[in-house]
Amino acid sequence: MRIAPTPWLSLVVPILPLLCPSAAAQEPADAAPELEDAERAERLYRAHCARCHGVQGLGGEGPELAQLALPRAADQAQLEDIVRSGISGTGMPGTSSTVLDDDAVSLVAGYVLWLGAQTTADASTVTGDANRGHDLFWAEGDCASCHIVAGQGTAVGPELTIIGLRRGADYLREALSAPAARLPVARSGARSGFFEYLPVRIVTHGGDIYNGMRMNEDAFTIQLMTVSGTFVSLRKGEIAEMEKRVGHSLMPVAQDLDEEDVEDLVAYLTTLGRGS
Amino acid sequence: MNKWSGRAFAVFAGLALAITLGVSMAQPATGQVPYERIVAADSEPESWLTYSGNYASHRFSRLDQINAGNVADLRVVWAYQMDEGLIETTPIVADGVMYVTEPPSAVTALDARTGKRLWKWTPQMGSDVLHIGFPEVNRGVAILDSTLYVGTLDAHLVALDARSGAVRWDVEVADNAIGFALTLAPLALDGKIIVGVSGAEAGVRGFIDAYDPETGELVWRTYTIPAPGEFGSDTWGGNSWETGGGSTWLTGSYDPELDLLYWPIGNPAPDWNGDLRPGDNLYTDCLLALDPDTGEIVWWFQFTPHDTHDWDANQIQVLVDAEWEGEPRKLVVTANRNAFYYVLDRETGEFLHGTEYSKQTWAEGLDENGRPIVIPGTDPTEEGNLVWPSLQGAANWFSPSYSPMTRLFYQPTRIMGAIYYKAEVEYEPGQPFMGGGEQALRGEEASGAVKALDVLTGELVWEFPLQSPPWAGVMATAGNLVFGGSDEGNIFALNAETGEPLWNFQAGAAVRSGPMSYEIDGQQRIVNSAGGTMFVFGLPEDGRGPG
Repeated sequence: MRIAPTPWLSLVVPILPLLCPSAAAQEPADAAPELEDAERAERLYRAHCARCHGVQGLGGEGPELAQLALPRAADQAQLEDIVRSGISGTGMPGTSSTVLDDDAVSLVAGYVLWLGAQTTADASTVTGDANRGHDLFWAEGDCASCHIVAGQGTAVGPELTIIGLRRGADYLREALSAPAARLPVARSGARSGFFEYLPVRIVTHGGDIYNGMRMNEDAFTIQLMTVSGTFVSLRKGEIAEMEKRVGHSLMPVAQDLDEEDVEDLVAYLTTLGRGS
Repeated sequence: MNKWSGRAFAVFAGLALAITLGVSMAQPATGQVPYERIVAADSEPESWLTYSGNYASHRFSRLDQINAGNVADLRVVWAYQMDEGLIETTPIVADGVMYVTEPPSAVTALDARTGKRLWKWTPQMGSDVLHIGFPEVNRGVAILDSTLYVGTLDAHLVALDARSGAVRWDVEVADNAIGFALTLAPLALDGKIIVGVSGAEAGVRGFIDAYDPETGELVWRTYTIPAPGEFGSDTWGGNSWETGGGSTWLTGSYDPELDLLYWPIGNPAPDWNGDLRPGDNLYTDCLLALDPDTGEIVWWFQFTPHDTHDWDANQIQVLVDAEWEGEPRKLVVTANRNAFYYVLDRETGEFLHGTEYSKQTWAEGLDENGRPIVIPGTDPTEEGNLVWPSLQGAANWFSPSYSPMTRLFYQPTRIMGAIYYKAEVEYEPGQPFMGGGEQALRGEEASGAVKALDVLTGELVWEFPLQSPPWAGVMATAGNLVFGGSDEGNIFALNAETGEPLWNFQAGAAVRSGPMSYEIDGQQRIVNSAGGTMFVFGLPEDGRGPG
């Protein structure tokens, strides 16, 4: 059977953009994996995984699972191994076969992959011309001056090599027309949950001014990369003023693009990572 | 033995052996920590004899060689790489030897001077050990006389010879197959080893145990959920008491003068679906004061009646003597997971004062008896309900610290909300029994701080902001310092009076343990762990290095 959207999934949608900008709340895509025994899969996920990874898989004490490309598991078999054995050196425990038998492990892993599938493009909503989008990206739009795709381009903004797996069409449309509305959020690792590419403006006690994107930060230091590619490391004791420009993006708003251009770019970006 | 007592003979024999072997007698024999030494722990700050530093759980070091004037020079003296896993242990240091636990339940003895390993004991546990609702961690050993006591993930209590790591005895505290586990550092009292259990997320019925240190025999067991007919049983609807939770998974405190044991109690089960257990659910989310000889409950105070957010009371209970409204009073204070700070009379359990210390949206405040005035509509729902704090709470197991010099209570604080969900659940032995879940706010939506609170009022005196909600404890010292750690890998020192940051070491991985301090060769050491490594810091004047 195909899983039906549960009440929590639909009812929390209005708050989600405020809580986690990366969470594209969409109806299940046509291509989404179908789940056997969906109710039991959801119940098992909630009982065993949600305490750390969140009921919606958006992370918490543990990293976000609602993403198509999981950094530690390329396929369901690897994911099942992680569910069984845990991840050494982290808070991710293994599990006993008396708690989750093979059937249950398979259902849990399938549910996690299904959660990820909900975050990506619904192919039926992509109407543009991907070939024209390719040309816009690489020629007129000069997008590669700030983005790397398959090793080509410059790393100012996010790498887009597999963006078609990671983001849905609605997200990509919004990223092109109002990039500040949805700054990317780190989905795994120590910075999980924090904005990536957050513009920061810093004035030091010595009067130096730095504008850049935050690469990392702790209670004592901050690391920036400027648009021109200069790395800056500062101790907070040196800083007189610091403005974290939440709600801003260094990506230019695509004012010269008409609706058709946007749709064509979305169509091209949706193909990235999908091998088509 | 009419001429020599056994003890005098032992001393004589030891002296003769020492002379024969040319051993200096300046240092006492390794691992001789009678109860009296632990009672007087404040008088030997070169040692660290119990989990929180003293029975009052101050986690305060009277050493002041490292102080606000020189802490900026602090550097690593030695480090120890542990078995893989999360390090939440606080070392014990006595007579030149450091005793630590390694994940999940191993015990290691190290030369406190150099970090070189003396012995290591690893329990034999099957691959199917259950730990439902928490990671594979251990928070440390207890020492009493010449024996160490460690709780294991498969719910055993094991006594080890302090000099060799040889097992003296091994008892099963409870059945791991239905979810019981031991992660806490046991508490050694006069002739008793006190332990508590984890397992509320599997629907266990919690208890506190006392064992004979010599034999491992169970002396008493006090259940935290009353059976039908016992006081408090009317706070549980139907048969819900049988699976009511009430774990006891964090080390308690002890007042030798009052001879009272203070033990915090965990959440009710199932965590988020309170419909299945109508009533206040005593003694979950309580502080219990117990007679350590019998286990009898002398008084109780419940912080969160009928908890539906997993706000257990498994936080460190700090014993403070102070003037209260002009009269000297014995107090117990705690910063609870529910975001309120409490001041109680520790002789009677009387509620004296309480105040919010971190963001919360579930209660209008506390009434005159300390009972929360709950805001309607803050329970978990099927659709999800956003409430502060998150299930991990404003505080958790990680230790606060109290400085008798500044009279401040230092609390690592989590400032984080969560959407709480309720779900149906049926109890099955050895399976999760939680009845819902949460989706925590995180990243820029959450933060942390080390907060310095006036110990009597709970009012904020200063705070040092942290990027993320912390999982690391703090320790104040007589050097006017507060040491702490962050999720971003900072091991740091703050000015205890002002919160000014004075020293920071980037350890490269999240800090999840509580700092402690000891002294060796006349040199003060500061200990904290990050990732898989325990770091020992000292001042550079030392010059002895790790050799």
